[in-house]
Amino acid sequence: MLSTKILIIDDEPDVNTYLEAILISNGYETYSIIDVSNAMARVREIHPNLICLDIMMPRETGISFYSKLRKDKDFCKTPVIIISGVVESEKFNFHSFVSDKSIPAPECYMEKPINVEKFIKKVKQLTN
Amino acid sequence: MKHLVVKNKPKGTEKIRELIFKELYQQIPDNVCIIDSDFNIVEANDNYAEHFGTWQNKKCYAVYKKLDEPCDNCPTMEVFKKGKAVVCDAIGIDKNGKKTHYIAHSFPIRSKKGNKIAYAMELTRTVTETDRWQQEYHILFDRVPCFITVIGEDFRIVRANEAFRENFGDVVGQHCYEVYKRRETKCSNCPAEKTFSDGKVHHSAMTGIGKKGHKIHYAVSTSALMRGTNSVAHVIEISNDITALKHLEHKIIEAERLGAVGQTLAGLAHSIKNILMGLEGGKYIVSLGLAKDDKAMINQGWEMLERNFEKTTSLVKDFLSFSKGRLPELKMVNPGDLVNEIIDLYKDIAAQSRISLKPEIDSKVKLAPLDSAGIHTCLTNLVSNAIDACLMGEQKGNEVTVKVFEERGQLCFEVKDNGSGLDNEIKKKIFTTFFTTKGGGGTGLGLLTTRKIVQEHGGKIVVDSQKGKGSKFKIIFPRNRLLTLFKETKE
Repeated sequence: MLSTKILIIDDEPDVNTYLEAILISNGYETYSIIDVSNAMARVREIHPNLICLDIMMPRETGISFYSKLRKDKDFCKTPVIIISGVVESEKFNFHSFVSDKSIPAPECYMEKPINVEKFIKKVKQLTN
Repeated sequence: MKHLVVKNKPKGTEKIRELIFKELYQQIPDNVCIIDSDFNIVEANDNYAEHFGTWQNKKCYAVYKKLDEPCDNCPTMEVFKKGKAVVCDAIGIDKNGKKTHYIAHSFPIRSKKGNKIAYAMELTRTVTETDRWQQEYHILFDRVPCFITVIGEDFRIVRANEAFRENFGDVVGQHCYEVYKRRETKCSNCPAEKTFSDGKVHHSAMTGIGKKGHKIHYAVSTSALMRGTNSVAHVIEISNDITALKHLEHKIIEAERLGAVGQTLAGLAHSIKNILMGLEGGKYIVSLGLAKDDKAMINQGWEMLERNFEKTTSLVKDFLSFSKGRLPELKMVNPGDLVNEIIDLYKDIAAQSRISLKPEIDSKVKLAPLDSAGIHTCLTNLVSNAIDACLMGEQKGNEVTVKVFEERGQLCFEVKDNGSGLDNEIKKKIFTTFFTTKGGGGTGLGLLTTRKIVQEHGGKIVVDSQKGKGSKFKIIFPRNRLLTLFKETKE
């Protein structure tokens, strides 16, 4: 059986370690990067089933990467969970960050620090 | 001047009075006429006839204004009605048909028997162009909405306009420094003194005390009133009350401070969330390690916990330094020394990262009133950012330059690097929102704190940056503001 691959993008290594620990112990295959400017290349390499993405990062914001992903014909359907300190759960207004209104909102937002149970439940739901 | 000539010696008091009246009537340098209650001119002196022309058997309005009916607001009518003297200014037509501007004083002349007003006597004085200018000058002097004083060489006030008198009291004859500031000696840096010595215009911003003991902020300009061509006889001092402006400025600074506090709190929450995520992560990995009896995992989790506790400490420290609301402690320091201190502090770190860190101190830079600890913090933040930007950039041969120089009356510090630079999106955020591009490495308070310290000195910070090419942060302190602040903090 093919494993479910999850790519974690956060400039904070401790966040990546934490999310990887949760996901690995739940049977997922994880990849993590701290530099978002390499993210598209890694996506093409890995073909992840899900992406966990931070927003405020140096060099490039998570929103900018997300916009590129949604415009890519091969990966526009890859589900994304935004995990960020600027997110206030469901109240997050994605389109206030993005000028291009044709870009659909991400599948899920989660506020840091995450609730592990809810996070795993969402991951399962989005990767099934 | 016509001479009073008495031809025949009169007999009796009554006669003498009549004679004096007749003579005086002619001698008065004004135009005099007597008008009855039907507006007929019954008598007039030679001056009157000379100015307005023939008056015999004519109504006053026909003579004064060449009209066929009484004037509106007729002063003569007022005299007959109210029995009181009236003063008015009017424009009439003289005997040559030219417009004439005059001031008329009208008095009642009562009948011998009682209270009945028999006649009105009118004294009119024509106002020449010079008189009018003089009048306008007086009005201007008194009514302009700023304080004007004329000061003598002994610094005593010779003249003061209405606005000045209203705010500082009737103070002619007193020393300007007593009046403006309730001081016993001259103010240091007195602009009037400078004008007395060089005859030039000088400006200054001052704080004085009004007659009710209230603080008045004013911007003052002094200029010379010359005696001949070489010496200054008096100095005219014009001040604008900028108290309201000062209050507004204070309110804006306060609003900005509160705005910055709001942004900081939002940013603080963001930072705390990231730290919490790290702490939660550490806890999770330690638990996982304990459950699996995996020592390496326990260690990894423990390190995460330690790291994030340290971050909490550093965040709290930065936050406390940012939230300190205080006036800068200004002392005269050599700005070049501050730059050298920073170079000393960072030279090893820079060398380890193969970054060339250089000072550039302009020899023209003079001593300046600065809060050395504050400026040290600003330069530390900027240099540490510049080094980080070099580490994040992709080019080799990185350089960070710390410059200090004078530019158009401003003291400038500049920190320049050829590191990663900032794109427009980030440039907009660096001062306005709590922002870090360093991930876990920064608290995002460095530039906000820097801006706050610079603003407390009356200065500003500007950034010029290009993505991939580097950044230049320039701190600008106008010298005059530093001086004002220095004086204020000393008072």
